[in-house]
Amino acid sequence: MSEQERRPETDGRDFADAMWSVPSYLLAGMAVYGGIGWLLDRWLGMSAFFPIGIILGLVLAGYAVYRRHGR
Amino acid sequence: MSVLAEVSGNVTAIGYGLAAIGPGIGVGIIFGQGVQAIARQPEAYGLIRQNMLLGFVLTEALALIGLVAPFIFANL
Amino acid sequence: MNALTVLAPKDQFGAPTPEELFTLPPIIPGVDWFTKPVLIALLSAVVVIGFCWAAFASPKVVPRGVQNVVEYGYMFVRDQVARPFLGKDADRWMGLLVSIFFLVLIWNIMGVVPVVQFPVASHIAFPAVLALSIYVLKVYLGIKHQGGVGYFKNMMFPPGLPKPIYLLLAPIEFLSNMIIAPFTHAVRLFANMFAGHMLLAFFSMVGFWFLFEKLTPLGAPIGVLGVVMTIILTGFEMFIQFLQAFLFAMLAAMYIGGALHAEH
Repeated sequence: MSEQERRPETDGRDFADAMWSVPSYLLAGMAVYGGIGWLLDRWLGMSAFFPIGIILGLVLAGYAVYRRHGR
Repeated sequence: MSVLAEVSGNVTAIGYGLAAIGPGIGVGIIFGQGVQAIARQPEAYGLIRQNMLLGFVLTEALALIGLVAPFIFANL
Repeated sequence: MNALTVLAPKDQFGAPTPEELFTLPPIIPGVDWFTKPVLIALLSAVVVIGFCWAAFASPKVVPRGVQNVVEYGYMFVRDQVARPFLGKDADRWMGLLVSIFFLVLIWNIMGVVPVVQFPVASHIAFPAVLALSIYVLKVYLGIKHQGGVGYFKNMMFPPGLPKPIYLLLAPIEFLSNMIIAPFTHAVRLFANMFAGHMLLAFFSMVGFWFLFEKLTPLGAPIGVLGVVMTIILTGFEMFIQFLQAFLFAMLAAMYIGGALHAEH
């Protein structure tokens, strides 16, 4: 968002937009990377990739939402 | 000794209920303090908003970790 | 399990279970789809249509009576929901947003109206259909206003990131916007109404059991506590019901606004 079009109305909209999209981003990140980890676990017969995938998905989703709405 | 009370159902539901307490308090503090900060210093809106978003993401992540923890520990 | 099992005498206090509260028998035997929530949903639609008809069939410049009340609600939706999220497109979408807000509000209010006492949205089918129609509208508007490729490009590939990161983030963006967002839209309303109804049923059951069914000196204070909590939580529920109707309309406006204009 450029500086000259910063008005209170659009600020409020962007803010609400960012905050409401956080849970769905985090859930999607967990679903994608946790799902990949779960499939790897099933394939390799291990139990380590599922938690790693969950954490990786959360971190990446947090990064995605921060890059999109954070500045 | 006779049984005084018993709980039936899934124990992981209790676990998630307990795990949701902390993030609930955390989100409350973040938004409460954030709104207060914006009210005190409206010109610092951009910075406050950025940090509120970051804090909210990190706290919400804890709540969602609590949601999947039963699935992780089911295998152990 | 049918309604008679709930009334059957027991010798111990048992909390009401979801099966007892939400699995209701058909009103007319043999017509399986026509249950209590369906009847209340239809009645609520009639109430909303009736209210808006009574208010705006012959509108006056100086509003009186019903028109005053409905106009107040209309202005609330316009100023708090439509204008912050849709800007200058607000007036085009007011019809949809007002309908959704009032319908969900009446659905939820039915949870505390005496005798009726069933929030329609506590069956997930009802909010799911509303969320699904908003989702279809969102995708249609997005493709119409940003182009078929442009819509998905704006959604999955926001500009200004190094290339390898896109590979990692694009599935998250797609899943979040296309599947999880409408899901949480419906589940927020459903879960709040479901939990609220369970809570009210539990505390009124405590009051009824310890004061009327098995009145004992030790149990009486718990029964009084149950009645007091029922009254307090009914007031709290009314606030939650209004808030959830507002949030449902607000999220609908947000999705429509996001589809009309590409972000940044």
